[in-house]
Amino acid sequence: MGSRLSVVVCLLVVSLAASAPAQTGAAAGLAVPATTTAINSVTPLSQRVVAYDIDAKYNAKAHSLDATETLTYHNLTGQPLDTFPFHLYLNAFQPTSTWVREGKREATRGQDFEKWDPKSNGADEIKSFEVVGQGDFTNQLQFIHPDDDNKDDRTVVQVHLPKPIPPDGYVQFKIKFHDQFPETLERTGWNRDFVLGGQWFPKVGVWWHSAWNCHQFHAYTEFFADFGVYDVKLTVPQYEVVGASGIEVSSVNNPDGTKTVAYHGEDIHDFAWTASPHYLIYNDIFQSTMGPVKLRIMMQPAHWGQAERHALIAKQTMERFDRWYGPYPYKTLTIVDPDPGSQALGMEYPTFITGGTNWFMPKGLLLPEGVVEHEFGHQYWYGMVATNEFEDAWMDEGINQYSEAKVMDSIFGPSTSVLNLWGITGGERDQDRLFYESVAALDSMAQNGWQYFNYNSYGGITYGKTALILLTLENVIGEDTMRQAMHTYFLRYRFTHPTKEDFLKTIEEVSGKDLRWYFNQAVYGTQVLDYEVLKISSVPVEWYKDDLQEKKGVTEYVDNVWIHRKEDFVMPVDVEIKFDNGDKVREHWEGQDRWVRYAYRKKAKVESVEVDPDHKIYFDRNNFNNSQTEEANGAAARKLANYWTCIGQFFAQMLAWWLV
Amino acid sequence: MKENMNLVSAGAAVVRRNKRYIVWFYLLNLAFAHFGASAFSDAAHSILDHSLYADKVLHGFNLGVFMEMLARPEFGALPSATHPAMMFAVVFFVASLVFMPGVLLGYASDHRLPRDEFFRACGRNVWRFVRLFVFFAIIAGVLAGILFGALNALVTAADKTSNERLPFFTQLVGTLIILLVLTVIRIWFDLAQTEVVLRDQPAVRKAVAAGFRKTWRNLGRLLGSYVVIAIVALLVLLVGIWLWHAIVPPSSVLGAFIIGQAMMLLLLAMRFWQRATAVAFYVKEMIEPVLEERVVAAFIAPVVS
Repeated sequence: MGSRLSVVVCLLVVSLAASAPAQTGAAAGLAVPATTTAINSVTPLSQRVVAYDIDAKYNAKAHSLDATETLTYHNLTGQPLDTFPFHLYLNAFQPTSTWVREGKREATRGQDFEKWDPKSNGADEIKSFEVVGQGDFTNQLQFIHPDDDNKDDRTVVQVHLPKPIPPDGYVQFKIKFHDQFPETLERTGWNRDFVLGGQWFPKVGVWWHSAWNCHQFHAYTEFFADFGVYDVKLTVPQYEVVGASGIEVSSVNNPDGTKTVAYHGEDIHDFAWTASPHYLIYNDIFQSTMGPVKLRIMMQPAHWGQAERHALIAKQTMERFDRWYGPYPYKTLTIVDPDPGSQALGMEYPTFITGGTNWFMPKGLLLPEGVVEHEFGHQYWYGMVATNEFEDAWMDEGINQYSEAKVMDSIFGPSTSVLNLWGITGGERDQDRLFYESVAALDSMAQNGWQYFNYNSYGGITYGKTALILLTLENVIGEDTMRQAMHTYFLRYRFTHPTKEDFLKTIEEVSGKDLRWYFNQAVYGTQVLDYEVLKISSVPVEWYKDDLQEKKGVTEYVDNVWIHRKEDFVMPVDVEIKFDNGDKVREHWEGQDRWVRYAYRKKAKVESVEVDPDHKIYFDRNNFNNSQTEEANGAAARKLANYWTCIGQFFAQMLAWWLV
Repeated sequence: MKENMNLVSAGAAVVRRNKRYIVWFYLLNLAFAHFGASAFSDAAHSILDHSLYADKVLHGFNLGVFMEMLARPEFGALPSATHPAMMFAVVFFVASLVFMPGVLLGYASDHRLPRDEFFRACGRNVWRFVRLFVFFAIIAGVLAGILFGALNALVTAADKTSNERLPFFTQLVGTLIILLVLTVIRIWFDLAQTEVVLRDQPAVRKAVAAGFRKTWRNLGRLLGSYVVIAIVALLVLLVGIWLWHAIVPPSSVLGAFIIGQAMMLLLLAMRFWQRATAVAFYVKEMIEPVLEERVVAAFIAPVVS
């Protein structure tokens, strides 16, 4: 009896212990550090949810890595948590993953996977998974696929804890994992002796809107995580030059020919690193309004001559972001010029970006500038204002593309901010129009990143349309107001996870205008805008007289002008009518009807008509029909035909040169 | 080197004496290219002529606006603009094939070749030239295929190294070498064509063999001459493009036309210079010992059609 009683008591105690919430962090001695050594601030800038402590050893020959990770999680959700999902994104590089499915379907970045190359294999394999105080859960991990029905996708894993973590409590995970990096197909992996470690460690999802938000790895979108502190030790061969997120804390040579480099990052939500024996380092300093920022530019030897070019555009961009939106608070920015053959160009990670150039890059071709500018912009729109890229890709890529247009135009001029070479020009806005035009009606901006029609639509809408919509909005509410709105949005939502409405309402609030008519069409809708000058007519009032002789300035005409809204986006617009006596008339049309006609009785004929004469609307699908002149001017067409003729002649001559 | 320059000068003298051929071929080239560009021109006129947006390609060259124009549905599919240009390039090639025998005969002649003799030479040699072209296409095609295949393998290997410039320079040097090899073949067949026309050689295989022997025995001189002229052609192109960029205002359609056509004319002249060099070489080195006999046969023999 006594023994039975003791068994019952024991079971009761065990049962109570199992069902009771785990200890709070204070009781267990857990905490997310409040250090401020990596930022120019004496207090933490974010609500730090996570602390990652990772010790990783990289095998450069096998392109693999073995690591131990200690993750301390602070439950700030206000409710007990007993389930935790983790990203294991290197598992996307397997033939049955959702990412490869999407890639095969969409030929993402040119990858249509006609044949699976074993070098493309990547893996993030958890060797052991312990929850401190609750035991080993390695065998209880479950792969989940919240976004699709692909049971073979292994990019999200979930663990269920018997003891929930109470509100404001802490939990610590100790994870041993093995990474196999793929040859870079997209963003992360190795190429020759270069490696970029992105999405390389088990990373916990985000509790957002009363649920876990932890998407699978997709073709276009991959970022959403909580802020915290990162302490990462990377052990690599001594010949490697290493760069990473955060600040470098120490570098120690080990007796086995390796070295261990330690990094520390604060108020960041991801950690990436790179290693290659070939990097040359160019150092510079940018003085932000919060303090000095060390620029560490890791150049390929063949690109060393462009190091200054990288530094200059980085500083010019940082100065404008600092002045327009707010300060960059981190002490470092690492700019990586990745191996040119790799697919790791143009990527963003906190305090760590990759550029993209090649050894022959004329100064008039502003690709390196554009990439560095864009990726730095992500330090704001993704890095600090940490929107959900999976669900609101336009809020980081698109807002950033808008910022890119503003910054690049302010430095290089609106018509030459992409290309200014041998008389051939191109600007950011032209580029965005090209992205957008062919996919204008396919998708709305406000949809999940992995559910776009295809890669072109994702790019055209997320990048191109968003930039054009915001540039146009700037003309609706005024450039200063727009800048003030962006500034307010940044200061209000930095180090948080804002939503679409947070952004849109901030603009409405700062501008003092109800802009729903615009947002409903532009952001939430797929409406397309295309105004055209449909027809011009100038008929003499006395047309019926047989002896009528038309004389300029004497004959009176009835002038009619028809403006047509071809598509379904309704937007007020100005119309300018020029007459052949030099008169100009400005009309304002609300655009509500399908068409409008303006009629005049004047001693002048209509010379030209232009819709949107101040060029305030950037997303009109066809700018050629926005104007009409009475007289034809064939000069532009003749010029292009002349070019075409010359090319044809050259081609014909070369054919005859070699074959006859 | 001096011999090369003598040959190049001799070729230049021949070209100077026979400028009319270049002019006629240039006019043919321009006319065909104009026809080839008509679809493009019509589409561009329909979009640009009444639009103020056209200013962006008139007063400068905004690549984005140009591409917007190409993307407009009313412009039509791009092949509808490129295919006519390619077709007329082929027509120009055929015309060159047909009329080149007359040019070669004119270049060998010390007097202005009468029109009927010109066309008679063309008619007499047209099928011989077609057969020569087939020979050339087979030999050059096979050789170019092998060489470019080998070059691709080299570039792929170079691409695996961490020296970023290596693939580019491998490609560049390899392409130059292949062009040199193809130039040798071109010289060989230029001499074979000259042999066919000046000796009235109906056996094309014999002409090919003779061309090969002459090329092989005088490779240095001939290749040097051809390369010098090719370099001049390249300079003509580079200087022309520079002048176009430097002195022609973006909106000057006439200025662009003049400089563009000057470039095309000079470029065409370079190839004729090479042909003239081959003829000068042939006449000087090969015909001279039997000049009286053969020239009489070539020029006086009644033509049997």
